Amino acid sequence: MSLPALDDITAHRGTADPLEDLVRIETSPREKATPIIADMMRSVYPHDQVFGEFCTVNSFIDCPPDELFDYLSDTRCLEEWTYSLRGFTPTEEPGLWLAYDRLGSETKIFTRTHANRAAMTVDYHCAWDQGKHLWMIYLMRVVDAQLVFDKPGSVVLWTNCHHPFYDDNPYPEAAPPKRPVWVGDFWDMFGAGHLLELKNLKAIAEYRHHNGLPVTPAWMI
Amino acid sequence: MTVSLIDVSTYLPGEPVSADYYAQFADSDDLRENPMFRPPKFRYHVAEDESAIDMIERATAGLVERHGQETIANIDVLITHTQMPDVPFYGGGGGMAHRLGMKPSWVLDLHNGGCAAFLLGLKVARNLLSSGEGKTALIAVAQNAAGQIFDQPTVRRKAQSSVPGDGAAVGLVTLSDKSPILDVECRTYGQFAGDMTVVADPPRKWWGPGTGEGYIGFTESKITKVLARGNRQVPEVSQVVCDRIGVKSSDLDLLITNQPNRVFLRNWREALELSEERHLDTFDDCGNLFGAGVPINLDRAITEGRLKNGDVVMMAAFAHAGDFAGAAAVKWGGRD
Repeated sequence: MSLPALDDITAHRGTADPLEDLVRIETSPREKATPIIADMMRSVYPHDQVFGEFCTVNSFIDCPPDELFDYLSDTRCLEEWTYSLRGFTPTEEPGLWLAYDRLGSETKIFTRTHANRAAMTVDYHCAWDQGKHLWMIYLMRVVDAQLVFDKPGSVVLWTNCHHPFYDDNPYPEAAPPKRPVWVGDFWDMFGAGHLLELKNLKAIAEYRHHNGLPVTPAWMI
Repeated sequence: MTVSLIDVSTYLPGEPVSADYYAQFADSDDLRENPMFRPPKFRYHVAEDESAIDMIERATAGLVERHGQETIANIDVLITHTQMPDVPFYGGGGGMAHRLGMKPSWVLDLHNGGCAAFLLGLKVARNLLSSGEGKTALIAVAQNAAGQIFDQPTVRRKAQSSVPGDGAAVGLVTLSDKSPILDVECRTYGQFAGDMTVVADPPRKWWGPGTGEGYIGFTESKITKVLARGNRQVPEVSQVVCDRIGVKSSDLDLLITNQPNRVFLRNWREALELSEERHLDTFDDCGNLFGAGVPINLDRAITEGRLKNGDVVMMAAFAHAGDFAGAAAVKWGGRD
């Protein structure tokens, strides 16, 4: 017996006709769905389609997932594997860190890390210039590679969403005077830039793991 | 020593066969709506009594007309590819050489090149001539499955059968700097060899006795794999050649590929960042010409003035279910 899937929508709309754009086997059998899929399979995909609204990079890292999670959960790890965030110091607000993004001269960046051990997610909530509204959010998830690749190690998934503030600085008054750049100017570079940083993370964590060093260095504990 | 592709001539058998021909037989077929099998408007069918040797002789007429019978008679290297050899035990090379009145010191039948056979032929010809094995080579490609295997009474009902078309082409390669072959890349992906199958219902060996007519064993999952491989391989080999000759793909004057279907044509020019105007195909007139596609399209490009003296043309193709791919760049020096 099948479940009452979508019955509420049928009742609400007063018709059993499927929602437009809904592709389910009942209304789009394989000979109808396959052409749609074949048309979507290209040799190349435009940059904007891949990195326009979401910026996702992934990597395998040969280091135990729980140790990698612990390392990523400490905001100060960003001092090591990011390209340009330096000088992390705690602020008066518990959990909120101040650093400088050397991409923008004299640019402060505020970071609060939300880590969830059960979900193995580490989300960095950040913002340039001010720490009140942390809208630049880096969503990361560590997955046990044993489960997904049948080998020891970690898989790191990392996604950013194209928040409208990337296009327009909502707090121009917080910016240092005459700063020529805004963080969102770099959005189109994020795919490449984040991959570069992910490779930094991989190099650092794998070096430590392969050489018997703790993944989280002593200075962070 | 510079080796040039100095001319090409072609042959399309009989009158065009329209898409209606297939529509009248069409069966319900799970693959009917698949974009890989959307039919061309026209294609040509080899005649029932026409051999691959006949096709090559007819294709060579253009070269004889422009370069003289003597040029053909004095060919040192004959390289052939026949999709369906007239007799399966041996290739067509010997018979073709005899028919064309030549006594070449090299005769090679290349079966592995498939849809990329002309590119493989260019590579072999270039290497043989530049190593002193002769002054001239002829690359002969005959595609003859459309009017034969795909036109059997139970096979022509299938979606796959409306796509192929028959034709033949010959390319003349000489030691000369007229239209230099700038570079060639051929790659074998042996892990995919055997993925293209000829099957019959009930099953039998292709030569064995039985009632079912042989056809290509396409399944949905196989088509998806072939689509992904083709999407990748043709741009890949083209880019390798682009890098070596120092030309950006978007700066190529003309792209010519095999033409299995419209989806590949679109994906390949997207990948090489070329507009439709700079990617010539004859899919709607001739269907999937398999190995003959590249040289027939080249002939069309030259004849229609789409390829001008000094232009760089990239020719690229992949074969079978992705077990072979090739690309060759030529700086075209004109027909005369």
